Amino acid sequence: MPDVLNIGLSGLSAAKKGIETTSHNLANANTEGYSRQRINQTTNTPVTQSGLIHGTGVRVVDVNRIHDPFLEKKLTSTISAHEYFKERNVQMEQLENIFNEVNGEGMNQLLNKFYNSFRDLANQPENETVRSVVRDGTRLIIQDFHRMRETLNAMATGIDGKVTNEITSINQISSHLAALNKKIAELEANGQETGDLRDQRDLGVRELAKSFNISTYADEKNKFVVFAKGVGPLVIGGISQELKVGKLAKADSANNMDGSVEIFVEGRPNFPISGKFSGGIVSSLLIARNEDIFKLQNKIDSIAYDFINTVNAIHRRGFINRPIEMDAEGNPIERNGSPVTGINFFKHLDSRENASALIDFSEAVKDDINNIATALEPNSPGDNRIALAISKLQHEKILNDGNSTLEEEYLSVIGNIGLETGKAKIDSEHTEGLLAQTQAIKDRLSGVSIDEETANLIRYQHSFEASAKVLNTVDKMFETVLGLGGRG
Amino acid sequence: MTRVSENSNMAAVNLSINKAKSKLENLQMKGASLKEVNRPSDNPIGSVEALSIGSITGDNEQYLKNINHALMQLNISESTLEQLTEVMVKAKEMAVGQASDFYDEKIRKNVVMEITQLRNQALALANQRLGPRFIFGGHSTLKPPFDKDGNYLGDSGKINLEVAKDLFVPINVPGNEVFFSAEKNSSRIESPMKDIPEIHRGKPAIEEEKFNEELPPEESVEVSRELASVKINNDLDKDFAARNNIFSQLSSFIAALENNDTKVIQSLLEGFDESISRLITIRTKIGSLHSSVQIAKNGIEGQNLQLAEKKSLLLDADIAEVFSDLTKQQQVLKTTYNSSKGLINQTLLDFIR
Repeated sequence: MPDVLNIGLSGLSAAKKGIETTSHNLANANTEGYSRQRINQTTNTPVTQSGLIHGTGVRVVDVNRIHDPFLEKKLTSTISAHEYFKERNVQMEQLENIFNEVNGEGMNQLLNKFYNSFRDLANQPENETVRSVVRDGTRLIIQDFHRMRETLNAMATGIDGKVTNEITSINQISSHLAALNKKIAELEANGQETGDLRDQRDLGVRELAKSFNISTYADEKNKFVVFAKGVGPLVIGGISQELKVGKLAKADSANNMDGSVEIFVEGRPNFPISGKFSGGIVSSLLIARNEDIFKLQNKIDSIAYDFINTVNAIHRRGFINRPIEMDAEGNPIERNGSPVTGINFFKHLDSRENASALIDFSEAVKDDINNIATALEPNSPGDNRIALAISKLQHEKILNDGNSTLEEEYLSVIGNIGLETGKAKIDSEHTEGLLAQTQAIKDRLSGVSIDEETANLIRYQHSFEASAKVLNTVDKMFETVLGLGGRG
Repeated sequence: MTRVSENSNMAAVNLSINKAKSKLENLQMKGASLKEVNRPSDNPIGSVEALSIGSITGDNEQYLKNINHALMQLNISESTLEQLTEVMVKAKEMAVGQASDFYDEKIRKNVVMEITQLRNQALALANQRLGPRFIFGGHSTLKPPFDKDGNYLGDSGKINLEVAKDLFVPINVPGNEVFFSAEKNSSRIESPMKDIPEIHRGKPAIEEEKFNEELPPEESVEVSRELASVKINNDLDKDFAARNNIFSQLSSFIAALENNDTKVIQSLLEGFDESISRLITIRTKIGSLHSSVQIAKNGIEGQNLQLAEKKSLLLDADIAEVFSDLTKQQQVLKTTYNSSKGLINQTLLDFIR
């Protein structure tokens, strides 16, 4: 009879354990990263008694989480891929906004207006108002070049800040993972598995995977290793590797900007590892900064520089719109100590570098709109050939080794950004679909179903009631047996 | 059978609502802007093409402005030359009358008044202005090109305007061509870009052959001419100009009338004829420029229409399509909400109580 009591008791405690686990599942139905748990119960060791082999009740071996490590790895890599394209889409859309003029004013329209303002000047070179219109229109171009360059620079600086923040959060997650590794090792010393902490660790790994491609494995000493692909281990068991960011001077930077941020392993500041990361937000940001934005910065500089030089080359041939004295040989004499020809329209720049940020009027044109030359001959107020020639620059193939006009070059920049942004958008949507799919597969496997848990709750409750009934029966049996003696 | 969990339920609901909503949002943008393309990435090639169409439209707008300027200039040149021709025809008629011995000295003295009046009229026409601009001054447009003695103070600069892409039209006739002998009158139209090697494009408005055909052969012999001011030309040219210009012809006529010298008057007749035929030649030339500018104008207006249509094809949304899609998508969203209601709101718990 004690056997029956024990069997009843084991059923009672197994059912209680089942209810506990079910409640834990229900309580965590909405916990992020939680995998449902279930009790793993088996029959107790059977015994031989009076020549009969019989069972001794139930035993709960352990509490497991429902989990598929391969699915987890797939999810991690999908997250890295998606975050990469998502961030790229964000950055490219910002770039696109700088150049977007499909339904509004932009550089292309301003350039068009610039050339046409010179055509207007060619119509009436004597007219001062038209001259000031030319200068005002040009000022808009100068401002727009400045705006583009400044916005591009601000984007690059913004990316530096974002990378810095990323590294800070990466370090936090790494040390959190190291701490979890320690706790898990302690708890699992007896060979059992702790589902909750492992879930938390998986969640941390997934969080880290947003930043870059990651792989995880247990080494030969059963230490859990988090490995940044292409870079090295970030967490080995209870130890984490700190990353640092450093600002570089312009000459050393990857994008020719002062204060550009690079990533280092703590304690080794001479070996930047920024370029080694793959996938995730970090490499997406760095590629946008070092390739896309950098290329555009150079392109805009180059366009501005060629624009300045071609306009200046023609403008220098012209004469100012003022009476000019000639000397005996028929050469013009300087007027009030300043030259009457050979004047630059834009301030001369020595190199392409930063041309779009430095573009400005020449001092002469700033001082006096009559220094805008329209005439190829001195003292010819009606001569419009310089103005005509500048307006004709619009259709001259002056860029790209004489293969494209300024407009063609600028429009190809817009076209490229459009294509790249479109591609990033498609990639982002595609990987988002993949991620949702993988996440759905995981959720179906590991997620809590309230219906299922409700059914389990009732099942364990019934089982508990039944086991209690067994104990009740045994109690009555004892009573019966003990009552025999009382009567005697 | 696939297992379903709370998370996968929620994800499915979120995904389907998001999908329906983002499509609706996209359509909303299209419906609000009535544009199919709102950013370059919506259609990179189309948007770039639309931008370059925008530039061409902008250019055309400017060309139309240039055309108005050109027509204004050509019209005033033409009407001034017409009046000048009238003056010269009148002078010639008088000369024909006075060349015979029919009239006596007294009458000739009276005619002097009339011819002096004609000469003043010619001088006023020579210094004709359009706005601040003296139309016969060549490039020297802000000073009167003729002094009261009929000396030319302007230069022989041609002012060209671009009336269509790469199509340059000269819009002025320098005074020396009008008032001096025709032999200095060049028929060739040169590109205004010829002295600016940086620019390779830009060709004369009308092929020179065409003009050569229209003009008497001896006028087309002269090929190109220095674009220097007439004032600093050599003395020979100056003498030549002095002897043959319209003002000296009229002055000689006046002098001859005062001196009662019929021989001189007779000798002047040929000069008057030459001047009149030169004026008519120049007017023909202006007329033909006028019509080529008109042709350019019609061309641009036609092109603008085509461009607007093409741009609209590239950028504008098909309104009927957008709104039928919009209605459809709203229905989809409603259905999604309805089905989500069933999925989210019910669990086993609702039935086991």
